[in-house]
Amino acid sequence: MSELSATVMNLARRDAQDKLRGRTKYTNDRIRPDMLHAVLLRSTVPAGRIRKLDVSAALRCPGVRAVATGADAPGLYGIGIADHPLLAIETIRYHGEPIAVIAAETEKQARAALAAIMLEVEPLAPVFTMAEALQPAARLVHEGWRGYEVITEGGARAGNIAWEARSSRGDVDAAFARPDIRIVESSFTVGRQSHVPFEPRVAIGSWEDGRAHIQTSTQVPWTVRNVTGRVMQLAPGHVRVTVPPVGGGFGLKFDASIEPITALLARMTGRTVVLENTRQEEMATCLCRENAEIRIRSAVTAEGYIAGREAVVLMDCGAYGGEQVFLTTMTAHTLGGNYKVGAMRLVSRAVYTNTPPNGAFRACNGVYNTFALERHTDEICDALGFDPMEFRKKNVLGDGDLGATGQVFEADVLGPMLDRMEALRASTGTSEAKADGRLYGIATTVGTWFVFVGPSAATVNLNADGSATLVTSGVEIGSGTMVQSLPQIVAGQLGLAPDQVIVREADTDAAGLDVGVGGGRTTVSIGAASVAACAEVREKLLRTAGEMLQTRPQDLVLRDGRVEITGRPGSGMSIPAVVAHAQATTGPITGSGAFAARNAPAMAGCAMGHFIDALDIPVFVVHEAEVAVDPDTGHVEVLAYRVVQDVGRALNPRAILGQIQGGVVQGLGYALHEEVTLTADGHIAQDDFETYRLPLAQDVVPVAADLYEGAPSMGPLGTKGAGEVPILAVGAAIGCAVARAIGKPVRQLPLTPPRVLRLLHEREPPPEFPHIAPGWASNTLG
Amino acid sequence: MVVTFQLNGEDCSFHGDPMTPLVDILRRERFLTGTKAVCREGFCGACTVHVDDEAVPSCLKPIGLVQGCAVTTIEGLSSGNQALHPLQASFEAIDAVQCGMCFPGMVMSLSAFMRDNPHASRPEIKAAMVGNICRCTGYERIVDAVADCLDQARKAGRLAGGIDV
Amino acid sequence: MAPGVERSFTAASTIEEALAARRQGAAVLAGGTWMMRDPRRGGELPEAVVALHRIPALSKVEIEPDHVVIGAAVTHAVLGRALHAAVGFEGLVGAAENAANPGIRRVATVGGNLCVLDFAAADLAPALLVCEATVELETFEGAKLLGISDFLKDRHTLLAEAIVTRIHLGRDLVASAHIRLPLRKAGDYPVAIVSIGVDKDKRCRIAVGSVEPVARRWTALEQAMRASPASALDPERAAELALEHNDFQGRDGKEAEGWYRRQVLPSLVKRGIAALLKTGGLAWL
Repeated sequence: MSELSATVMNLARRDAQDKLRGRTKYTNDRIRPDMLHAVLLRSTVPAGRIRKLDVSAALRCPGVRAVATGADAPGLYGIGIADHPLLAIETIRYHGEPIAVIAAETEKQARAALAAIMLEVEPLAPVFTMAEALQPAARLVHEGWRGYEVITEGGARAGNIAWEARSSRGDVDAAFARPDIRIVESSFTVGRQSHVPFEPRVAIGSWEDGRAHIQTSTQVPWTVRNVTGRVMQLAPGHVRVTVPPVGGGFGLKFDASIEPITALLARMTGRTVVLENTRQEEMATCLCRENAEIRIRSAVTAEGYIAGREAVVLMDCGAYGGEQVFLTTMTAHTLGGNYKVGAMRLVSRAVYTNTPPNGAFRACNGVYNTFALERHTDEICDALGFDPMEFRKKNVLGDGDLGATGQVFEADVLGPMLDRMEALRASTGTSEAKADGRLYGIATTVGTWFVFVGPSAATVNLNADGSATLVTSGVEIGSGTMVQSLPQIVAGQLGLAPDQVIVREADTDAAGLDVGVGGGRTTVSIGAASVAACAEVREKLLRTAGEMLQTRPQDLVLRDGRVEITGRPGSGMSIPAVVAHAQATTGPITGSGAFAARNAPAMAGCAMGHFIDALDIPVFVVHEAEVAVDPDTGHVEVLAYRVVQDVGRALNPRAILGQIQGGVVQGLGYALHEEVTLTADGHIAQDDFETYRLPLAQDVVPVAADLYEGAPSMGPLGTKGAGEVPILAVGAAIGCAVARAIGKPVRQLPLTPPRVLRLLHEREPPPEFPHIAPGWASNTLG
Repeated sequence: MVVTFQLNGEDCSFHGDPMTPLVDILRRERFLTGTKAVCREGFCGACTVHVDDEAVPSCLKPIGLVQGCAVTTIEGLSSGNQALHPLQASFEAIDAVQCGMCFPGMVMSLSAFMRDNPHASRPEIKAAMVGNICRCTGYERIVDAVADCLDQARKAGRLAGGIDV
Repeated sequence: MAPGVERSFTAASTIEEALAARRQGAAVLAGGTWMMRDPRRGGELPEAVVALHRIPALSKVEIEPDHVVIGAAVTHAVLGRALHAAVGFEGLVGAAENAANPGIRRVATVGGNLCVLDFAAADLAPALLVCEATVELETFEGAKLLGISDFLKDRHTLLAEAIVTRIHLGRDLVASAHIRLPLRKAGDYPVAIVSIGVDKDKRCRIAVGSVEPVARRWTALEQAMRASPASALDPERAAELALEHNDFQGRDGKEAEGWYRRQVLPSLVKRGIAALLKTGGLAWL
């Protein structure tokens, strides 16, 4: 049908000109002189008990209009479990934790008044690492963990284990006991990654007609709405969230953080209040991709059949559970993905520590689990003498194969994608000559990720001028969905040009629930809701036109802004004429649509403590990297990078290629440059652009990419999210390529020059996890 | 202290602390929010403006040092209904923009670079971008756009005096 | 700064005026690229500053057949352009053209680079050590000339009562090279720097920056190379000597530990000698 040809195109971005001219008003461009400025008093110790907090002197400082503490917003929030206060209440759990907030006429006055807050803290011995947190006698980061409200049932919890998810399929003990197998065991450790959106977290709160209105730079307007209501204990529906263009998110803005504070201060002062993290605050309290520790063992036959696999994954959630509680789920689908495995059991634990809380970051735990799985796969190949490419071709998931939770995968996707990678390599050639005497390595890796579906709503109003207005809670964070794929989809459904589709920016008062922009879900979930809304619009439009044209609606089509009789181009009448008639007779033409996850089934009893038992829309990637390693300095140069990505259907191929280039480069940062460490007092050491090394133009190469279409997807027109997944297998491809180049096992990221040189000189100790018990079951709460 | 300077072609005076960073005056007093204050330490380039035709970070420029200078911001590069600068047009045509926050600084840095280096190679373009960070795009399209733009300028014979900014 | 106090800002037109302000307690403002970062780190800006950019003598590079004079307020970008064609100064040009990033290089000055205390990774310091530069200071007691090495060692006390005004360089080098090792291709401060120069007698001068808190000459290696002049300009041999005479104590930092900084020095020496061999100045030797 022409629906597809009317939808697929390399549509340009409608927001590009204003962004290029500096006219786009991001949230932090909307600060006006009449607003109050809020600044936070943050903890300078990693753990402690608040003995005294007296803000009365601060209230008397020049320009100060309000001071708030945890007592003013006592509700707790969280994902899975409500463990997180807006401002510390009694206990301090990380360096940088907000304790109080001051609103004053100017930022300078607010900052000056911080010194007048009387704060006495009794320091507690901090629990910095997961190894410390898992000691039997470890101090509890949350003494009152048992008392927290459980928002989602099902996860095992105990003490410093905020959440545990397990998956178990088949008889793993029997697989490891087989006489014809060899056991390969690997351990990996990875650090945190900071998102560094150019626009930090910032919110502008006002109190309007007895309700909070927050304008903010977020990916999740409905989460901000719900968390604000929760921590302020407001009556239902008393928060409105609107979202201007967002200056980058990458998952950092997939949770609420400072936004409710502005509503609190707005209610206290009756004024509009702005709170913006400084760059140092933003980086020191970034909800990073978590540091993690992984031990994986596999039982493999001499023929290369993976009979059994078991793994323990420890994820540092920092001081509060946050996204890591949810993300424990993903281990089953990432570390448990990619390959056919006879029997498998995996446990994934989110562990509390006295460190800044972690969060969601593009392809979340998939990035390091894919690194671990692919490096482990190469170690299997080394140990058993398999060719890594042949081993992958033989073992990747195909039609009818089972995932870790017993999900049945549909269609052969990864296998044909590996073939396509070989074809791509044949067309680009390889770059070994560029190594120029340095150590050369090439590696091909695979990855499994998903589209985070979940609920979305859309309304389409068809206007008498021939335009349509799409109203959703979608947010433009830079990925282009709101300015490219969504108007393309609506235009394709209604026979319009994309520039006739107006896309409303998110306003929780205007559009229905949406779980947010992230997880590659916008084009799929909001897109599907939009298609459903368009179906209602079409139905009304064709019914009215049918009456006007004395033709059955099923004989009519929408094309080029007209309602035409099928097969007779130019017949019928213009859409505005039909809309005008409808407005005068049956009323304006609108449609609403909704979308929800399908909740694909897992095998009974296989998944415990999971938020998602099986993947509704799996997404696969094949990544290939060529590197040269300088043996004298440890510098890794990426010589070439190739991607074959499962996109379902490419609605805007040029935009997808832009996402792939950007996502791969963020992955190169993770794999090679970006390092987060903690100081002795628990502060993130790299809190600026001097020390946190983002990839620069000279550090990157053009990514050669091939979009693989046709894998099954429940997304509209068969599409899958394409923006999240390009980062997935970069750590894996670089890790494997560097290991091959230097001839040493790579078990840690990032591969900074000092780390690579230490590996070359055998000065880098392999990761050892005394806190992970040898027996798998001893690492579970049973 | 009073500091007088030219801002986007008009006389402008500032009364206040001479150590105020130029970027704060642009954003907070003149509401020229196209200049972005991202790292405030000279690493990201998002606050780049032209001071006497040189591309410099406005976060590290105390206004006292701007006395008598001519400052051009992104808003002054192609104002009102004026056509886009050729580089802006290249960025748009190639679908380079994502979140967009680094682009005003990219445009200010690279427009001056193109003017001074009309024959720049791809590696030279990348070397000129060491102080302009982009977290979204992975850079290559930005480099493509600069290379295209220089190419077009050469073909159009606008070589002699470089490219106008 | 106390509320209500107006900051004093002097754009000096002469060295005397600058010195007078300095006597009153004003801090010297050069390009501002360091001072303006202080508030981000909880530091306060000084209550009084004196800017040097309007003093003509401090903003020019004078190139004579036998010497070069660089004003302290000359920016990295201007210095790089001015010396681009001057044989023997390839290392200094490399330092000026690759430090930090292009925007910073258009603002940051020679004087600022040398006067920031506790900045171990300054690019100009090892390059000027190789040039055996002389630093001219204007002190409360009058002008003073000081070797760059002594200046770097004692600048903490010297700068309490002086302003750096000019850098004087002889022209006895026939070639030089500046090898810096950031962790990315560029854009971060180098974790180690080796600057090398060679005079017409093929005698090498080598200085190392960023490895120890203050840049210094690698005297042990210079002497070893002099002892076997036949192999002085052989990159592999020089690297071997560097390994043998590595007397540096690497400093630990967030970005790299001392071991790494020290470990990479021989390969930077190798690159430095290789770069020297590609210069025009060595061709006729």
